[in-house]
Amino acid sequence: MNAPQTNPAASPADRAKPAARGIRQTMSDLHIWTGLLLGWLLFAMFLTGTVSYFKEELSQWMRPELAHRAETPEPAVVASRVAKALETLAPKTTQWSIGLTDDRHAVANAFWRVPPKDGAQRAFKDANFDPATGETVKARETLGGEFFYRFHFQFHYMPVRWGRWLAGVAAMFMLVAIVSGVITHKKIFTDFFTFRWGKGQRSWLDAHNALSVFGLPFHLMITYTGLVTLMTLYMPWPEQVGIDSPALKKELTAQMNAFIQPGKPSGIAAPLAPVEAMVREAEQRWGPHSVARVTAILPGDAAARVAVSRGEIGRVSTSPQYLLFDGVSGRLLEDRNGVGPAAATRGVMVGLHLGRFGDGATRWLYFLVSLAGTAMVGTGLVMWTVKRRQKLSDPQRPHLGFLLVERLNIATIAGLPLAMAGLLWANRLLPVEMAQRGAWEVHVFFIVWAVATAHALLRPARRAWVELFWAGAAALALLPVVSALTTDRPMWRNMAQGDTALVGVELMCWALGALLAWLALRTARHQPAARGALRASQKAGSSGVATEPGFTGGMALSQGGEGRP
Amino acid sequence: MSHLLCLTLNLAAFAALALATERAQVEVLGQRLPAGRSTALRGAGWVLMLMGVAVAVSTWGWGLGLVEVSGYSSVAAGAVYLVLIAAQRRRA
Repeated sequence: MNAPQTNPAASPADRAKPAARGIRQTMSDLHIWTGLLLGWLLFAMFLTGTVSYFKEELSQWMRPELAHRAETPEPAVVASRVAKALETLAPKTTQWSIGLTDDRHAVANAFWRVPPKDGAQRAFKDANFDPATGETVKARETLGGEFFYRFHFQFHYMPVRWGRWLAGVAAMFMLVAIVSGVITHKKIFTDFFTFRWGKGQRSWLDAHNALSVFGLPFHLMITYTGLVTLMTLYMPWPEQVGIDSPALKKELTAQMNAFIQPGKPSGIAAPLAPVEAMVREAEQRWGPHSVARVTAILPGDAAARVAVSRGEIGRVSTSPQYLLFDGVSGRLLEDRNGVGPAAATRGVMVGLHLGRFGDGATRWLYFLVSLAGTAMVGTGLVMWTVKRRQKLSDPQRPHLGFLLVERLNIATIAGLPLAMAGLLWANRLLPVEMAQRGAWEVHVFFIVWAVATAHALLRPARRAWVELFWAGAAALALLPVVSALTTDRPMWRNMAQGDTALVGVELMCWALGALLAWLALRTARHQPAARGALRASQKAGSSGVATEPGFTGGMALSQGGEGRP
Repeated sequence: MSHLLCLTLNLAAFAALALATERAQVEVLGQRLPAGRSTALRGAGWVLMLMGVAVAVSTWGWGLGLVEVSGYSSVAAGAVYLVLIAAQRRRA
């Protein structure tokens, strides 16, 4: 990333704001350079994070073997069935935990502790269970929607800690870019609804402003709370200084999550009390379908404990809330329904970031505004080149910094959607019995992205934009077809069964495919105007600034996540 | 139902606020409105937006309610913006 090779001081002043001097000008430079430096990472984090709001739906789509159920059995009954199955499946485990079924989880998922190997601290196994029978169900090996989710804050092919630090630095840059952007934007209210069509750089700026300002509460919230989710990694010192005894450490963990560490077994065998009654007791307190998880420690031992924890539906917080039962007598020992103010603040912030508390409509709001945030980063990146293209001394041979930004933009904005579609193709096409299948789905994602990047570097800029947009559009459009040919879950059958998750994912592929196709068309039709000309073809909606292929006239508008007319 | 009401109120609010600006008046109506009318529209816009907040908070409580309002105002502003652009293109 040698973009800063262009001396910021020498970079042309923002001509859109001729009167601005002093603080605004300084903030403008800060905004431009913090936005650019890690902009490509931020775009990738934003886009993969955006689709992660539909993580569970994606996971369902990626495991077509798991049948759709019109009705989910009562959670208390499901808990009891799976607990029974675990008695034979994991008889000696010191801990198991069952994620119950709900609207977004068609099957129950449980994990249990197994003796660790090779010096590892702990090890787990997991399985999916049919809620109707309690039997394990097998599905293809895949990370499901989990990959995009993980990628958006820790990337891949590097130690998790490095990835999270990188994401943290990028988020910090984002925060600086947001604040400096607001200061720079002096007519935030006057220009609130302003869009000037066909004015080149001005149009891009209008679109960038609209995408940023309309979603500003979200953008600020998501960036700040994103940092908060990993604050103990970024700011470990208070904990190192203040939490100095094992008891305090234990209390800290208890304030942040409901994960209970197994204690010492008594060695006396005793059967586990029925968990069904415990779940029902919790539902009486919190309401129906409020229980998300049942965790047992030392099941089968006289010292057993069962924690029934509340899900996030309807409460904007991830702070732990659970009932703790004696695992043998079934007696309620503790009702943990609150945490300290600092932990509660953190819980609300993490809850806001994840958006798991909401119903379907809320999830769509998150998705749309987050997509607008993605487009905000995308338009910002493209604007950097739009602004500088007209000032190139020789547009045919731009300098290295310009070339690098332009090509990285193509590889990221047009290449990433293609790579993401590639992962979903791999999910359908890789042999089901393939070893390391889940890992290979991810490898395919990066292989496709690498090929797209090579393409972006080797082709003329405009051709690269158009071709990659078309490839992405085709990959997404054909995905439901591939799925219909390779699984017994074609779209029409899902529709007939009322499986909204699977139908929704495929309709979304088509919608995003249509968006990419539109971008491809706009870019291809764009008629570069003569250098310095102010008017360009109105029909193409193009700009007067572009002087060479590679400038995408229509993109500013099209990336607006807030729905197209 | 509250979702729909909240969205509608926010759409109306941003439509009113947009029509209170000179640029939108020229683009959509083809003429400027008298200053008094613009002020009334601006006032109506803010009132409608507050009504949206009231509906959301009374339905979902402060925490979830403010989250919903934030989402609906963003989406409504975006929708009004796109309609303005469409109107502007039609007149062009």
